[in-house]
Amino acid sequence: MSSIHLQNLVKKFGEFTALKTMDLVIEDGEFMALLGPSGCGKSTTMNMIAGIEEPTSGRILFGDRDMAGVPMGGRGVGFVFQNYAIFTHMTVRQNLAYGLRMRGLAKSEIERKVSAIAELLQLSPLLDRKADRLSVNILQRVAIGRSAIMEPAIFLLDEPLSNVDAAFRAVMRTELKHLQRQFRQTMVYVTHDQLEAMTMADRIAVMDHGVLQQVGTPLEVYNHPANVFVARFIGAPGMNLLKGRPAERDRGLVIDLGRLGATQPLPPALAASLRNHGREVLYGFRPEQTLLSAEGRGLRMPVDFVERIGARTIVHLGRDETAVKAVFENDVKLGEAVTVSPAEASVRIFDAATGTAIRAE
Amino acid sequence: MAEIAFRNVTKRYGDLVAVDDVSFTVEDNEFFCFFGPPLSGKSTILRLILGLETPDRGEVLIGGKPVNDVSPAGRNVAMVFQNLALFPHMTAAENVRFPLVERRVPAPEIGRRLAEVSEKLHIGHILHKPPAQLSGGERQRVAIARALVRDPAAYLMDDPISALDARLREETRVELKRIQRDLGKTLIYVTHDQEEAMSVADRMAILEGGGIRQIGTPVEIYDRPASAYVARLLGSPTMNILPGTHAGSAFEAADGAIRVADAPAGAMEIGVRPENLRVEPWTEDKQGRPVKVFEVEPLGGYTVVTLESGQSRLRALMRGQPDIRTETMVALSCDPARVHFFGQSGGALGR
Repeated sequence: MSSIHLQNLVKKFGEFTALKTMDLVIEDGEFMALLGPSGCGKSTTMNMIAGIEEPTSGRILFGDRDMAGVPMGGRGVGFVFQNYAIFTHMTVRQNLAYGLRMRGLAKSEIERKVSAIAELLQLSPLLDRKADRLSVNILQRVAIGRSAIMEPAIFLLDEPLSNVDAAFRAVMRTELKHLQRQFRQTMVYVTHDQLEAMTMADRIAVMDHGVLQQVGTPLEVYNHPANVFVARFIGAPGMNLLKGRPAERDRGLVIDLGRLGATQPLPPALAASLRNHGREVLYGFRPEQTLLSAEGRGLRMPVDFVERIGARTIVHLGRDETAVKAVFENDVKLGEAVTVSPAEASVRIFDAATGTAIRAE
Repeated sequence: MAEIAFRNVTKRYGDLVAVDDVSFTVEDNEFFCFFGPPLSGKSTILRLILGLETPDRGEVLIGGKPVNDVSPAGRNVAMVFQNLALFPHMTAAENVRFPLVERRVPAPEIGRRLAEVSEKLHIGHILHKPPAQLSGGERQRVAIARALVRDPAAYLMDDPISALDARLREETRVELKRIQRDLGKTLIYVTHDQEEAMSVADRMAILEGGGIRQIGTPVEIYDRPASAYVARLLGSPTMNILPGTHAGSAFEAADGAIRVADAPAGAMEIGVRPENLRVEPWTEDKQGRPVKVFEVEPLGGYTVVTLESGQSRLRALMRGQPDIRTETMVALSCDPARVHFFGQSGGALGR
């Protein structure tokens, strides 16, 4: 069994607490992304799983085996870093074969495995090239291949794609996911890029300031963020959040957006949860689920800025506290001001004081 | 006036032609982006504008005047800090002042410039604080203020925000663009991130091997790429470009999964943007032939679907969270008005 159990895991560096009491179970064969901004504790967590760092307190189990005191080499994990470690004086073939040779595998067996992994990572035509003649993109592919060929039960990747170019990153995302699906290793993937986490992971553990914020499938964290941090961090752009207060109107409970001078209706289930809330809330909705309404109800806002990025147009409306972003198709025509409204089913409400999501009853 | 132009500029390093007969005009107050893969000539062009290199042939003009013989100091263009990180031991004000102090600008002038840039960037009230006490957004504005505190005719920036986290990059690029508009200055920008280039640039030049392949607004280049090379550089996922065959006046690619009734003579490849590829569940009454779903990547607001047809892989970008499963069969179609054709040498063909 190569499940990974993090139990009450804490890591301090002197006064600084890098990780506060983390509990997480990564299932056997699961692709888990540890996602968060710089300094959130994701790499520290990864390093403890790998055995590079010792926990200050708490336990790490692989299956039912406690990893306390087990050195990195004894854990049976494969590790790929942001900065690939490749022997530049060797060919791609020699790099891929290196670990298996150290392990003393038969030559024919090594050859078979090298050509299989090269095929999978599209390295076959490059097998006899010297590594020092290859691009960063290809080197990272070799680094991944060199770790994957050892068929580790647990595969750890720390920002492996941050140095490769954007087009290649998109290709590698698909390939990495496919590789994991084929070998069914337990994969832990550290990234600050929500796009990588969303596209590859079975589940995402979102972290901030050493605290695990939410664990869920990509669509769970996107559709039902546990708090405002997750709501803002997941999505491109993140969720819009406007200050408001629940208020009783003829048409039922609404959110009064105060400074924006608008009241927004609520789906009935959410209205029920908010009936006795009274306190200030954050009214959340996704830029991609924001509709342009020709007239009538909605938020009338000045167009501040328009980014047309290929297929999408990101429209920035208003400024500062009342800023809202909307994502439209690329052929949208805009005036100086527009009226937008969120698709009702996409509305999410958070407690303004605690930042915690208020769920529909 | 800070119009910057190249007329047939060539720069060689030994046998390597780093910049190959390049001509362009960056208008006054324009946000102009150079975009291309490594070693395509971006950095050499910046060095030629700055005066750190002299062209072997052709002319560099700033404000309409030839400057081939003008020293870097005499050109009044500023290269901006590569990294927008702040010095942690200095206050915001000290950070902003730094480039001027370093250049021994007189104290009253420093005070005047600091006041001016702080007002434009709305950071006057936080100038006394060290970076640790600033929010992420405030830190960005201070860093940009530091970058812009000098008052040259034009700024040059070489991949200034590449070191930031993905989320911070998305916000900073918008901030940069806003500030450039407020300041009304010519800004020449180099980036390796196509999304960033499309977001900020008024116009952009696409480079390959030292030559300019296309100049235009991001929208023009995205919608009407001059070649398959240019088409591949912009867009994420990248454009599907597939070799195909003529069948009468029709054109077929990806084992017949893509079929367009009318193609120009000489077409070798067909290009379809992922967002222009329609994916629907396969039913018997569909045209063409079914293809297999290889991978489904949910982005939340969009879904990327990778499809396999014969030897070809195609990507489709679908809005929302459609219920499509891997290993199932789907039907592909595309609007013939939204496909591109490329000829023998990769050039785009008119219809």
